[in-house]
Amino acid sequence: MKKILTVFATLLCISTYVNADEISLKPYQKGDWSSILNLANGKPMAVHFWGVTCAPCVKEMPQWSKFLLSDKDAKVVFIQVDDVSPEMIRKMLRQSNLGNANNYYITSSFDERLRYEIDPKWRGETPITIFIDKAGKKEITVGSVNFQSVKSWFKKNS
Amino acid sequence: MMNKYHHLNLKTLLLGVLGLLALNSAFSQMDHPAHMSKMSMGKPPACEGSGLDCANAATPFLRADGKLLLAWTSGGKVSVAQSVDMGKTFSLPTVVAEHGKSLDAGGDARPQIVSDAKGNVFLAYAFFKDSRWNAQINTARSTDSGTTFSVPESLVVNGSSERFPSVLMRPDGNIFIAWIDKRLVAASNKSGQKKLGGSIAYSNSLDSGRTFQTERIANEDSCECCRIGVSLNQKNQPVIIYRAIFPGGVRDHASQIISSNGPDKIRRIANDGWKTDACPHHGPAIAVSSQGTIHTAWFTQGANRAGVFYANSHNEGASYSEPMRLGKVDASTSRPYLLALGKNVWLVWKEFDGHDTVVVMKQSGDDGKTWSKEAILSKTADYSDHPLLISQGNQVFLSWLTRADGYQLTKIGQIE
Repeated sequence: MKKILTVFATLLCISTYVNADEISLKPYQKGDWSSILNLANGKPMAVHFWGVTCAPCVKEMPQWSKFLLSDKDAKVVFIQVDDVSPEMIRKMLRQSNLGNANNYYITSSFDERLRYEIDPKWRGETPITIFIDKAGKKEITVGSVNFQSVKSWFKKNS
Repeated sequence: MMNKYHHLNLKTLLLGVLGLLALNSAFSQMDHPAHMSKMSMGKPPACEGSGLDCANAATPFLRADGKLLLAWTSGGKVSVAQSVDMGKTFSLPTVVAEHGKSLDAGGDARPQIVSDAKGNVFLAYAFFKDSRWNAQINTARSTDSGTTFSVPESLVVNGSSERFPSVLMRPDGNIFIAWIDKRLVAASNKSGQKKLGGSIAYSNSLDSGRTFQTERIANEDSCECCRIGVSLNQKNQPVIIYRAIFPGGVRDHASQIISSNGPDKIRRIANDGWKTDACPHHGPAIAVSSQGTIHTAWFTQGANRAGVFYANSHNEGASYSEPMRLGKVDASTSRPYLLALGKNVWLVWKEFDGHDTVVVMKQSGDDGKTWSKEAILSKTADYSDHPLLISQGNQVFLSWLTRADGYQLTKIGQIE
């Protein structure tokens, strides 16, 4: 009996935990890039585009979480690009320990029209990280990043 | 009594927990529409139906008798419809499969459809089968020209992850299928060796897709997120093109002839030098002329060249011509596609100028030695699929799906 009660108590805890752990996921679509840039608020910022179906992206996400823990002042925005449900994105963010990060997901087609305002040369490769310094100058890394270099970039530009 | 008391308590507790769980699940189900309504304020709602008007990708197959079969993915469903007037009107679509948000509707994914003259239709597509985003290729068959289909079943039994099927039908009705297969990567990772990418696998069916021969691996190291290009050569052998992974993690393109004895040598098309671990979601194109010339086109962001390029080979891929850039250096070019008819070659791609997406064409009448000037075939200001080319007899058509104008099959050329 005690055992059963413990199981129910645990279930109750899990149930409450899921509610409390609701991950904020904001919509992003074509035309929204300037409002993302405004988030920088005069500080250096990195915008990381990733997709849940992209294996190299998923592999790298937990490392972004570690990086943010080690560099709490670094401003990083995450934008998920695959056409999947928000629940699936939240699950992946939770697993990567990035539930509290600044998370967006694409709600319109991930096509050339959406990418052009971000970078005309971007044809949809993921992951891709766009580093924007205080003057608004962009540096782009296609593929996984070197976190030591990311740390140095934030330090140099802060 | 005690027992009963406990029993009652247990029941109450159970109901309570179930209630909470139900509430929880209700919240999570409500979450999506709540978000949708919030974000669609003042903005047009996303196209979410399963019709052709909401499709992200549509693949045509033009039969010798003039019937057009069209397979598309939209709203998590795979649908097929037929047209007897070259795409002007379609029959009521048949929904072959439904996978919701698990359907692979990525930028380089598209359903595959082929048909023989007897009315046998073969369809293949991929969906994500588990929470770790492992994919599965399903196939379905029709024996009534695409009006009804068999229940989709897995192409590979007990596979790890398969994605991006590319299908060809040979003149004798046999089917060739190539795909990205992750069994070797999965096995390697299990044994502790970190391996990236996927492998190129293929198989043949001699009975209209009912059964397939045991699959073979053509190249163990390929990019995992780019579709494969396939074409038949003059000997009716499939020739494939794909983004391979060369030593050092360089994701450049390779062609390979698949003969009845198995995969031929891996032939590098160009040394673009794209060392990356990113997913480009941008596969190449191939067409083989009646002379056996292999025509190829691809996208790269290599250290040696970046953009969309074309090259050909007159010696079965042993060597390729110097890559020719498509479009201007700074143009936002993408999605090349090729078709060869005799010695005539058609090459199309997309270009975006910040407002409009256009389909650009170049044509060669001498097997790729000389090319016409660029011509703009079509234009749209909204979402568009990749431009595709198909032929019937001596006529060539551009197949293009756009959100604004729907599906269009446009005659763009003819040979004498």
